[in-house]
Amino acid sequence: MSSIPTSFFGWVYFLLQEYGGILFKGACVTLLLAIVGTIIGCIIGLAVGIVQTIPEDSNKSTFSRLLLKCEKWILYAYVEVFRGTPMIVQAMVLYYGAMSVFQIDMSPMFAGFFVVSINTGAYMAETVRGGIDSIDKGQKEAAVAVGMNHFQMMRLVLLPQAFRNILPQIGNNLIINIKDTSVLNVISVTELYFASKSAAGVYYRYFEVFFLTCVIYFIMTFTASRLLRWWEGKMDGPSDYELIEYDPMQDPCGHFPINPKAK
Amino acid sequence: MTVDNTAPLISVRGLTKSFGERQILNGIDLDVKQGDVVSVIGASGSGKSTFIRCVNFLEEPSGGEIIYRGKPVLEAFKELPLYRTKVGMVFQQFNLFNNMTVLENCTVGQINVLGINKDEATKTAMKYLEHVGMAGYVNAKPHQLSGGQKQRVAIARALALNPEVLLMDEPTSALDPEMVGEVLDVVTNLAKEGLTMVIVTHEMAFARDVSSRVMFLDKGLVEEEGSAEQIFNNPTSQRTKDFLSRFNLMK
Repeated sequence: MSSIPTSFFGWVYFLLQEYGGILFKGACVTLLLAIVGTIIGCIIGLAVGIVQTIPEDSNKSTFSRLLLKCEKWILYAYVEVFRGTPMIVQAMVLYYGAMSVFQIDMSPMFAGFFVVSINTGAYMAETVRGGIDSIDKGQKEAAVAVGMNHFQMMRLVLLPQAFRNILPQIGNNLIINIKDTSVLNVISVTELYFASKSAAGVYYRYFEVFFLTCVIYFIMTFTASRLLRWWEGKMDGPSDYELIEYDPMQDPCGHFPINPKAK
Repeated sequence: MTVDNTAPLISVRGLTKSFGERQILNGIDLDVKQGDVVSVIGASGSGKSTFIRCVNFLEEPSGGEIIYRGKPVLEAFKELPLYRTKVGMVFQQFNLFNNMTVLENCTVGQINVLGINKDEATKTAMKYLEHVGMAGYVNAKPHQLSGGQKQRVAIARALALNPEVLLMDEPTSALDPEMVGEVLDVVTNLAKEGLTMVIVTHEMAFARDVSSRVMFLDKGLVEEEGSAEQIFNNPTSQRTKDFLSRFNLMK
């Protein structure tokens, strides 16, 4: 083994060489949890958001109206419970609860995916609802007027527009998830924080190791944020407002001129 | 479904609508026959827009009936969306789908609601886009178009579903003055071709020139109804006279 370093950066360099691999693996686990959790969470959020915005149609039978009310109430309860309790506690309850009550021995990784997904889902449900509500009423009316039902309207008109509007919030959730998966160390998921703690414990160099950890977290979140910005820009398409070609009908000096080029 | 061709296309019987305590429509009757161009005129707040929105159930009527070819709509159609494809709607604010191109705006209903295949839908859409002079803009997004162009696309979108009646809710009210002409040209052509239309409008000269019938609404009631000639030249009701006297209708 190389000699024990004396300076701060000496230690950082030394620890990077010794534990770089472990930290890198931890970072990969963190990213995997955050990305998969965010994606599944978004899907849950979309589904919940769509159901939450179904209008109560007085033409439907009493039974289907009651069913819809029940569904909405259950989803509302889901959102409130998972938004209203800390993820670290949810992880403990779920992981140990499943073991002691249902005798299900899920792997920490699976429990991790589960907790991150449903947690993100609860937040996204509200974001999606807001995103849908924020779209101009005229878009909904036009969709209805061309004969679309609620789900066609959602899929074809509202969600594509709402998605663009909630993209910044999805980015927020991804960044929060990259950082907050660190709480999953309590159920021994070997993500970045867990890996750092193990590495720091060997030489008792907490500051140096966590300085490294800090840099790694920042690189991950910063990259995620830049990528999402780029994606947003791409979705907006070109911003030039130039009209495509000469429109004879728009010429106020005369309708349907015979030869528009002559002007 | 049996179709009775002699019956009016759409009959409105005793239509009422209230929002909470406020009664907007107090019992309106109207028969729209094949080929009719009915203009609905009246002061702001007289219930014109509410009326036309009730005809395709964008607003649920509080009372009365909408009858399609002799049968109440809710009986004739299992689902409202099917009825709505028979009555096209053009909005004051255009309401083009912002996430779609001009062409997609005109094909989305055909493909997803009527189940027409994409090639066929594109062909129909192009036919109507050409009709409104927007065929050169198929790949433009709504935000790249001017108001008048948007409204022309909106008309093509409604026509692409091959409706039997076209409802227009103040199609030119949100336009800059120099763009009103292009939209009215399109509507006038449609009227000449015999398309059945119900148009809510503030363009009196236009209403006089294109409509086969004019309905003057006042305080949620039909104050006077008749041919364009009759309403504009010989109105009988004092309210109608007062209302029309504010417009300079000299030829």
